[in-house]
Amino acid sequence: MSTSATATAPSAQAATENATQRDTVRQTDGELLQLVSFVVGNEEFAIPILSVQEINRMMQITRVPQSPPFIEGVINLRGKIIPVMDLRKRFGMKAGDAGNDNDNRIIVVEVASRVIGFTVDRVNEVLRIGSEIVEPPPSMVAGVESDYVEGVGKLDDRLLILLNLERLFSGADLQKVDQAVKTAK
Amino acid sequence: MAGDVDPSLMQDFLTEAGELIEQLDADLVRLEQEKDTAKQQEMLNSVFRALHTVKGAASFLGLEEVIRFAHAAEDALNRLRKGEVAVTQRVMDSLLRSVDVLRGQIDSLNNNEPVEQCPDDLLKALRAITTGESQSADDGGQSTTADSQPQVQGAQSTEPEPIQSNARPLKLPAQKQDLVEFMVADLNDAGAQIDQCLEQARSAGTRTDAAEHMVELADSMGKTADFFELPDLTQLIAAFGGAAAKLADTPDVLLDDMLVRMAAVRELARQQAEALDKGLVLSWPTQTLIDRLNSLAQGQKLDDAVAGKHSQCVEGVLALDGVVAAQPTAPSNNQPQVKQDTSDAAGASGSTDPGDAGDGNDNNAKNPGASSAKAGTTVAEQTIRVEVGRLESLLNLVGQLVLTKNRFLGMTRKMRDLHLPHETLEDMAQAAGELDRLTGNLQVGVMRTRMQPLAKLFDRYPRVIRDMARMTEKKLNLELVGKDTEVDKSVLELLADPLVHILRNSADHGVESPQKRIAAGKSETGTIRLSAEHQGSHVRVEVYDDGKGLDRDVLGRKAIEKGLTTQDELATLSDDEVFRFIFAAGFSTAEKVSDLSGRGVGMDVVRTNIAKLNGVVNVSSVKGEGTTIEILIPLTVAIMPAMVVGVGMHLYAVPLQSIIEIVRPEAASVHSVSGQPVMRLRDAVLPLLDMRSRLGEIGPENGNRFAVVVGVGQQRVGLLVDKLIGQQEVVIKPLDDEYTTGGPFSGATIREDGDVSLILDVVQLIRTAGTGQEKAAA
Repeated sequence: MSTSATATAPSAQAATENATQRDTVRQTDGELLQLVSFVVGNEEFAIPILSVQEINRMMQITRVPQSPPFIEGVINLRGKIIPVMDLRKRFGMKAGDAGNDNDNRIIVVEVASRVIGFTVDRVNEVLRIGSEIVEPPPSMVAGVESDYVEGVGKLDDRLLILLNLERLFSGADLQKVDQAVKTAK
Repeated sequence: MAGDVDPSLMQDFLTEAGELIEQLDADLVRLEQEKDTAKQQEMLNSVFRALHTVKGAASFLGLEEVIRFAHAAEDALNRLRKGEVAVTQRVMDSLLRSVDVLRGQIDSLNNNEPVEQCPDDLLKALRAITTGESQSADDGGQSTTADSQPQVQGAQSTEPEPIQSNARPLKLPAQKQDLVEFMVADLNDAGAQIDQCLEQARSAGTRTDAAEHMVELADSMGKTADFFELPDLTQLIAAFGGAAAKLADTPDVLLDDMLVRMAAVRELARQQAEALDKGLVLSWPTQTLIDRLNSLAQGQKLDDAVAGKHSQCVEGVLALDGVVAAQPTAPSNNQPQVKQDTSDAAGASGSTDPGDAGDGNDNNAKNPGASSAKAGTTVAEQTIRVEVGRLESLLNLVGQLVLTKNRFLGMTRKMRDLHLPHETLEDMAQAAGELDRLTGNLQVGVMRTRMQPLAKLFDRYPRVIRDMARMTEKKLNLELVGKDTEVDKSVLELLADPLVHILRNSADHGVESPQKRIAAGKSETGTIRLSAEHQGSHVRVEVYDDGKGLDRDVLGRKAIEKGLTTQDELATLSDDEVFRFIFAAGFSTAEKVSDLSGRGVGMDVVRTNIAKLNGVVNVSSVKGEGTTIEILIPLTVAIMPAMVVGVGMHLYAVPLQSIIEIVRPEAASVHSVSGQPVMRLRDAVLPLLDMRSRLGEIGPENGNRFAVVVGVGQQRVGLLVDKLIGQQEVVIKPLDDEYTTGGPFSGATIREDGDVSLILDVVQLIRTAGTGQEKAAA
């Protein structure tokens, strides 16, 4: 869990304390992981806060014909063109029932020096959890291939799926998904 | 010592050396072809000067490896200059290889790698040229004097003779006589640097550095003076060096006396340099000046009668110390003379080649601190070097400005519907128009800063062709036309490799061997012509060879073999379409793979690089008569005019360069030929591509669609679109992430309203036009 270990850097902590009012601190003995949690479908996911560049309200997404189905299109991020991925499709979830459209967000992350956005149904909160409450992923997690699940965090009342962004956005994996989607058709 | 050098100086050196080496390369190749001895001599001089400049700059930076090697090459070259060795292929091979080694060394320095040593066999070959050995093997007959091993610097062998008169003719052994020109250039060069140092020495902060620099300069000038047997100058410079060494410790009261006397020495050196150029040696009664300098250096005050009586000018002190009689008309300030010096030097050496310009740059490169002091008076400085990164960011900013301007113009148009007072609207429209115009001018201006002449590329190719000719044992003649044509820097870079590949192909596969050419009734020497010209907003680069041409049958057979086409399909293809197969990856008709070509990679590189530039490659060929490869590229890659069209729910941009016309096909003129919709356009049949299905767009059908006729080479396709929005300048943003690269798009752009539109890649659309239809039919 090396990626999120860096998230406990003091400066990052200070920055996020200002950034959010809903900062939840959990009791812990071990390392602190600082995460952003969001909801896609019925699951709650979390990614390290340091990889998040910004969170935007839904904006006009330009469809790119003949790109993989889970690519929603491209957006204009202050003069830069970046691709946006539909996480529902990426996870093979059913489309529709995205909840309140007003809550939809585009999370822009930087992974391996690439900037990419993905859509989520709703962003929950910034939270800090101890690394000891994160367990390795079970072999299969609710419809999501466990490849890009870093671990599962057990909170008091809910489960948090920690994502490995690098694997989520790696090209080789995407081609596999692309193939899978095509053959399914 | 290389490590101690100021990195910015090092960078200047590397840039300049790189340019000089390019020039060397070009000159050497020209030299080999030149038959006229006088012109040969001129080129040799130019080559020699360029090499000498590299060496000089390298020695300033203490780059031992470079100096050692440049020196050996220079010695060899010197023999050529004096006509003691004839220009033969073997000699030229060694010299050209030397240039390669030198370039390698500069490259390593550029990459912060250790500089490679010169290969021993090459050094030996160079020495062989220098000493005249083995030379008879090449041409015999040439008279040589094996004893003369010219040394440019360092050799000292004579006793100075007493000199009485102020000017006497310069008497030197022939081998030194030859170098006088360089001596003059060196002296002027050093003089200019001393001027700057003296200026710096006046302020306490820079005095130590300036003094150190002057000690070095004095050392090298002294050696040169000694070498040319100029005892007066040697002594003066020795005193100058002594004074410079003590400069930092000299009390302020003495400083004025000292500096003005140092300037006097520099002035005398200048006069000597001038006289040398005319073949004269000057001498002066310099003892008083030398004594006074020495005593000042030891910290002793001068006599009251003398101290401070120099009236702050060089002439004053020269008169005071009895070197010359007072001259009332003499200039009172050193600065203007410096300027004159440089121009004198350039004029005196009687050359127009860039080597001299290089010399001029040297001064600036070596004394960046002093350039500001000089700026007011120097006229030479009409160009400045700017880091590419800065131009790049400027261009980016202009790109964003164009986008914002577009948005603004869009907003002004919308405001017309807002029922604002008429005057406000008019003001608005006026301001918007002005903004549009200014942005346009700014864009052109910034783009022009990035333009470079194609000569930068073209001048490399004579060497390529020469090497090809040597290796393939063919006779080749390269003609260069229009190398002053300017293109964007990025275009230049991306064009470099494709042109080499095309030229190699022409030389290797195109032009036949001399025997075959004669048998075919052609001249023995094959001609390859590389030409460039502006065509509207495009640059057209053409490579023509008068070789055997492309063979449709051979290409067709190979294409079928590679599975690129079928026997049946081949019959329906035009010649142009068959020739196009040469651009397919891995396609080669060569029976054997040589060092030079035949692996089928080159033309693929051509195609991809040109596509990156939004350019087009066309091939035409007549069997037995030759092949022409034509490249058309837009002048710039960042901003281009485009037609914005609507397909289904979305807007797309079509590059204006590829649009030939836009028509509205009547339902009656649209037919279907074996599943492919076509329309009759005047007397031709135009295949149509339904963009709606090609792009998978949905939305209400529009019965009255437009056909945007686009063309690549000879191919034409009509793109059926729902509506036309209008023409716009679009800033191309790459779609280079791996997710969105699949479609027929060359990039994306940001529209007036801030949304993203995709730019259609016409080449790809046309290429897939046929296959797409087949798939749809299947």
